[in-house]
Amino acid sequence: MADRELVTITIDGVEMQGPAGEVLIKVAEDNGNFIPRFCWHPRMKPVGMCRMCLVEVIGPRGPMLLPSCTTRVTDGMEVDTQSTVVKKAQEGVLEYLLINHPLDCPICDKGGECPLQDHTMAYGPGESRFVEEKRHYEKPIPISELVLLDRERCILCARCTRFSEEISGDPLIEFKDRGNAVQVITFPDEPFASYFSGNTVQICPVGALTATPYRFKARPWDLEAVESVSLVDSVGSKVSVQSSQNSVVRIDGIDNEPTNQGWLSDKDRFIFESIHSDNRLTTPLIKQDGKFVETGWGEALDYVAEKLSDMTGEVVAGLGGANNTNEEAFAFGKFLRTIVVTPHIDAQLDDGLDPHFLVGVTPRAAIPDLETAKTILLWAGDLKEEYPVLYLRVRRAAAELGAKLIVVHPRATGLDDVAAHKIRYRPGRGPDVLRELRGGAEDYAEARSALDEGPVVAIVGRTGLAENPRLAEGVAAFVRDLPGGKILPLARRGNIVGALDMGLAPTLLPGRVSETSAHDLLEAEWGPLPESRALDATGILEGLRDGELEALIMLGVDPVRDHPEPQLARSALESAQLVVAFDHFLSDSTQLADVVLPVEGFAEVEGTVTNIEGRVQKVNRLVPGPGQTRPVWSALDDLARRMGGDLGAPSAAALAKEIERVAPVYHGVTWDALDWGEGREGLLLPIEDGVQHLEYIPVDDGLAPVNARYGLHLGRVLYDDGVRTRMSPSLAALAPEAKVYLNSTDAKVLGLEEGAVATVESAYGSAELPVAIDESLGRTTVYVPANLAATAELGAAVAVVVSKGEAS
Amino acid sequence: MKILTERMEAHRTDSHTIERYEATGGYTALRKGLLELGAEAVAAEVKASNLRGRGGANFPAGVKWGFLAPAKPAYLVVNGDESEPGTFKDRQLLERDPHQLVEGVILSSFALDVHHAFIYIRGEYPKPARRLQDAVDEAYEKGYLGSDILGSGFDLDVTIHLGGGAYICGEESALLNSLEGRRGEPRIKPPFPAIEGLYSKPTIVNNVETLSNVPWIVNNGGVAYARIGPDTSAGTRMISLSGHVENPGNYEIVMGMPWREIIYGLGGGIPGGRELKAWIPGGSSAPWFVPAEHLDVPATIDDTDSNGSMMGSGAIIVMDDSTDMVKAAHRIVRFYSHESCGQCTPCREGTTWLERILYRIVSGQGRHADIELLLDISDGISPGLTWPPLMTTICPLGPSATAPVVSLMQYFRHEVEAMIGDDDG
Amino acid sequence: MKEVVLTAKEATAIEGWSKPSQQRSVEILSRYPDKRSAVMPLLYISMIENGYVTEDGMRQVGLLTGLSPAQVQSVASFYTMYKREPIGDYLVGVCTSISCFLLGADDVLAAIEDESGVPDGESGGDGTFSIEHVECNGACGGAPVVLVNWEMIEGVTPEKARELVRWLRDGRPDVVNTEEMQRLFGGKRAFDWGVKEPVGAILPVPAFGPYGSVGGEAT
Ligand SMILES: Cc1cc2nc3c(=O)[nH]c(=O)nc-3n(C[C@H](O)[C@H](O)[C@H](O)COP(=O)(O)O)c2cc1C
Ligand code: SF4
Ligand code: SF4
Ligand code: FES
Ligand code: FES
Repeated sequence: MADRELVTITIDGVEMQGPAGEVLIKVAEDNGNFIPRFCWHPRMKPVGMCRMCLVEVIGPRGPMLLPSCTTRVTDGMEVDTQSTVVKKAQEGVLEYLLINHPLDCPICDKGGECPLQDHTMAYGPGESRFVEEKRHYEKPIPISELVLLDRERCILCARCTRFSEEISGDPLIEFKDRGNAVQVITFPDEPFASYFSGNTVQICPVGALTATPYRFKARPWDLEAVESVSLVDSVGSKVSVQSSQNSVVRIDGIDNEPTNQGWLSDKDRFIFESIHSDNRLTTPLIKQDGKFVETGWGEALDYVAEKLSDMTGEVVAGLGGANNTNEEAFAFGKFLRTIVVTPHIDAQLDDGLDPHFLVGVTPRAAIPDLETAKTILLWAGDLKEEYPVLYLRVRRAAAELGAKLIVVHPRATGLDDVAAHKIRYRPGRGPDVLRELRGGAEDYAEARSALDEGPVVAIVGRTGLAENPRLAEGVAAFVRDLPGGKILPLARRGNIVGALDMGLAPTLLPGRVSETSAHDLLEAEWGPLPESRALDATGILEGLRDGELEALIMLGVDPVRDHPEPQLARSALESAQLVVAFDHFLSDSTQLADVVLPVEGFAEVEGTVTNIEGRVQKVNRLVPGPGQTRPVWSALDDLARRMGGDLGAPSAAALAKEIERVAPVYHGVTWDALDWGEGREGLLLPIEDGVQHLEYIPVDDGLAPVNARYGLHLGRVLYDDGVRTRMSPSLAALAPEAKVYLNSTDAKVLGLEEGAVATVESAYGSAELPVAIDESLGRTTVYVPANLAATAELGAAVAVVVSKGEAS
Repeated sequence: MKILTERMEAHRTDSHTIERYEATGGYTALRKGLLELGAEAVAAEVKASNLRGRGGANFPAGVKWGFLAPAKPAYLVVNGDESEPGTFKDRQLLERDPHQLVEGVILSSFALDVHHAFIYIRGEYPKPARRLQDAVDEAYEKGYLGSDILGSGFDLDVTIHLGGGAYICGEESALLNSLEGRRGEPRIKPPFPAIEGLYSKPTIVNNVETLSNVPWIVNNGGVAYARIGPDTSAGTRMISLSGHVENPGNYEIVMGMPWREIIYGLGGGIPGGRELKAWIPGGSSAPWFVPAEHLDVPATIDDTDSNGSMMGSGAIIVMDDSTDMVKAAHRIVRFYSHESCGQCTPCREGTTWLERILYRIVSGQGRHADIELLLDISDGISPGLTWPPLMTTICPLGPSATAPVVSLMQYFRHEVEAMIGDDDG
Repeated sequence: MKEVVLTAKEATAIEGWSKPSQQRSVEILSRYPDKRSAVMPLLYISMIENGYVTEDGMRQVGLLTGLSPAQVQSVASFYTMYKREPIGDYLVGVCTSISCFLLGADDVLAAIEDESGVPDGESGGDGTFSIEHVECNGACGGAPVVLVNWEMIEGVTPEKARELVRWLRDGRPDVVNTEEMQRLFGGKRAFDWGVKEPVGAILPVPAFGPYGSVGGEAT
């Protein structure tokens, strides 16, 4: 919010200041005076319903009893929060709330952290005088796969219903009936299937909404907690990770102003189940006669060290690191560059944007720029599916803050209802759309003129996996010339920007510097670096397949699943002489490894991560990893020693210090600053500071549109078949069925109807999928959700052939 | 002196038709206002008339119009939700003289630079709604509605909206929510509708009766209207008499006569030779008056107020000496409990609690402790039980439920005690 | 008022409705600056089409007004006249608010319950009746008040109320008309009604032209 004038008010005789127009309850709280409340939530519009926050404001005609959550402060305002009338009102509200409350605190998940319980102790009446029969409802009823509702406990504060309408935009849970019969409920047969349902559980002031994954897992007073950052996507949502008896049992959102403002997606929230999955790797595995056998770390590392020592460095390559901490990624890069001595490193799998563009594009937007943007151009994947928390921020900007939103996408997206302009196009035809939009062609004239109203924030990425990444650059090049145009490029993996910043790209070195500009500087620290031309992920896989490379080290990647050409990835892994994988689970790719090393992960390691804006935040350790898991850095350090080298990685903290020293853009970024100092909200890395830092000027290189009989839109869905989702039972159940989506005219032409089976063939493979009708798709465009088992073989093709399936 | 009911009394069978309306001076004010006076002058006449709102709050209409924020579009919304028990005056005005209201709406919209007016009629009033819709259709045909009305360049559309059965939609901000297709829950004020009303745009909400006065005011001048009746209760107003009176019905009166004259004069006294026990002077949410104290109080807005009650919607409910006051109080509290929108904790829970205790007492299960409890719960809804009431709630509905409880205890506590008898609880 | 054209999806949602109801829905949508405002009138039309506010009806209204079914349910359930369960052909309401109470409304209600065999708040008589007590209907001067499909009768005695029930049960009139019923079963009125009312209700929905719920001969 823009800086507002400060006014002085007096509460209970104490003078304090707050921004003019701010609600009284907030000004009081910021100045240490907590006024009890139930319905007010700082991130939602006040409704003044529960009446718990009543105070007396002394006006010209004597004191007025007013709700402090809806009363705006004005200069000279005098407030009494302790008067007899206030006390009486508070007592009244609590007594009224309790007359119908079941008081089943001993078996309630909220017991021990319940505002109703706490307020009753602090402000409540003694005994209830209610002798009539309480309101009765069926005890907890499931309103979705993840959430249970106990209407007897509900105090009708409307936080959940307002969240769904106002914040997440899926009003599936609402008040029903009137007066004393009001209840919160869903529509019959329409469950509360929101990607954000867990937020309502978190903000419910009582135990009316509970989450199945947490239910009865722990009592609040047994919980230990640390702050951390969700790595489900690259938005960098701040979380509180909570454990009981060394087991993570809950994740809550923390209100971090620049990023998630308290909210999380259900995937952020419930992915913790995968941490303690029975399928977690707990011992090193070595493949013998095509089968994995369990072994010890010493044996496994000796085996790898011996094999690697027999090879020249440049036949070895490394992939991955984008789901790790900066410290782990840094150690991985240093290991490959200085111990193995190879330049072939890539954290991406040819499924993102050019690394230089991703970390170096200017002028760069940060998420808070959305608050002041006049126009937002969104030309990326469906944010609701891919970056749910960023979706909330854009929704807020468009719905609450008045930004004009332009969505360019092949089909309907979650933000269409708040978009001022929607531009839909066939996959492959993006370059045409860009040209026409830039030129202000008739169809796009209004959108074009909206773009002339700055500041403009452009969120650019690949709308689908098959989309040419150069298109995003073309869009960025266009936006640079718009008034106040800034660009936020997107790439999905949790710490992809951190990994690139740690040099996990063929042409980048740690600290957001290019291989050519910083080679000498780093050699002074690390000694001689590999000289030959570095290969990117596709080059690495081709090299392995063709025998030019011999070994691959994977850090938490699954190329067989995630590379655009799954068959290439598979044959690369099969052809390699040695494949070593550091991972948490056996995946399609690690299955093909020779050695699998179990490592610690989220909530088990301490370190830093860098979100999509370049904001560095701290992740923390709460529980030990299972079995023999080790931190990545420690395993690499050990391996280096067995190879006769020295990685210099005695701890994550030591690695952090080294990063701070050798990675230019990370100068000044210390754990101390992040934990206790100015970095509590994260430290946003500078982008145009000093010569050696990367500054990338995107160009529109006149990309040619692709023609195809049927254009394939391969878009991601939130609950995909990713391994962590699959290993979180509550989320795995939510993965959608794979289908092929067509508009009804195309379906008719092909002789297909809803539910019939179609064959979809791409250059890489084919899939038999049931048909679903989606009228938001243009003619001859098909949409297939990416990364579901049934669609994996299609790879990332732009053009496909669709026909009636065998079965229909 | 009759303003609102003159035509319907003189023309029993066709006062609602446009022919009769025009034949008796109808739509002359419209011509005068649109073609001679101009918008500002029409507004000035209404201001000068001291016309006070007839929906219950008695707020001066001209003053309210002056608060209308400049943002456009602005809206006029007519409150025809008439649901306060005891009130049935708007129904008569709608059924018997709908054009008078339509003309008032056009003039008011003109004065307020409004181009779309809404008339919200409670869902249980299909007949009044039909009559009004006919009148609106006729006005369109005659060119009194639509574009370029009477060649003045002024455009106006009118939409009639039927409610769905909820008393609370009479409260103006709940009415606006309802009109927007939402639950009829009152909004937090400020902002007031004149600043942020329908679709968040500046909106004036006036009662059916209030606006039915406007044609007369434009024709005869605001000053002439202001001269009728006591200074602060200018003009004539409709009162609805019901309950135990010989001649129930609506009466258009000049305010100021004592209550005695209303009940015994207009009302013809209590039927069956019974005695007057109490009456409610302004709709069921008003505190009760009793003969020993209030018969000679003048029935003006101010005098009623200073005696601890209100003229409210003009509904007078008379109770004779056969009335079981506990049951009567219960019946009124039951209404408010049933009609609570449910937003505010004290209203949602408190009114229902009051109802259940009274029900228990009426059913012979009362306890003596219930008397203090009833008062204490009331106190939690309306702190101090003062007049006018303080509120712990968003709107006055919650406190309305406490008026009968307090009046019951004030004047008829012995009846409650007698009903409870020997409690063994 | 503005021009409204239904999208294919909206049109499909109500293709099962009668042609006049479809037309009226479009007209109603055109009468408001924001389509959400049409939710209450459309709920009445959905009652005319489906007999009561069904789940499908709420989905249909949601599609037309851009609301989720849960939002429509939230609105519909706030108001007492949107019946969310099947109701009889004749919805008989008895006002039991204060003025009617003072003049014996409880006895009128009891007589109607007894004569129809249907208790307050329920439906019965093979779908003939739904009986309910209602709050003040703005006819307090003519208390006690009874409504049949929202057409009003004032000054009703328990005896007349029984006659009314029999008349409805035996005669099963297609249109109930306030004028006729007042003449047959009514007494003292709150005010002089003036001219005859020729039209009335054909359903337990308020009889209002724009909704298509009016029957009888227009004058
Ligand atoms: C609970 C409640 C119910 C109300 N019911 C009505 C009503 O039925 N009709 C009405 O005109 N005003 C009613 N009002 C008053 C309106 O809020 C509003 O003041 C009035 O419509 C303004 O019009 P006026 O100034 O012309 O009176 C009610 C107020 C409250 C608090
Ligand atoms: S379920 Fe919880 S959040 Fe929702 S209204 Fe009830 S108490 Fe409030
Ligand atoms: S006082 Fe009652 S009716 Fe008024 S807003 Fe509060 S709950 Fe609703
Ligand atoms: S917190 Fe202010 S009314 Fe609920
Ligand atoms: S009390 Fe029955 S109609 Fe008013």
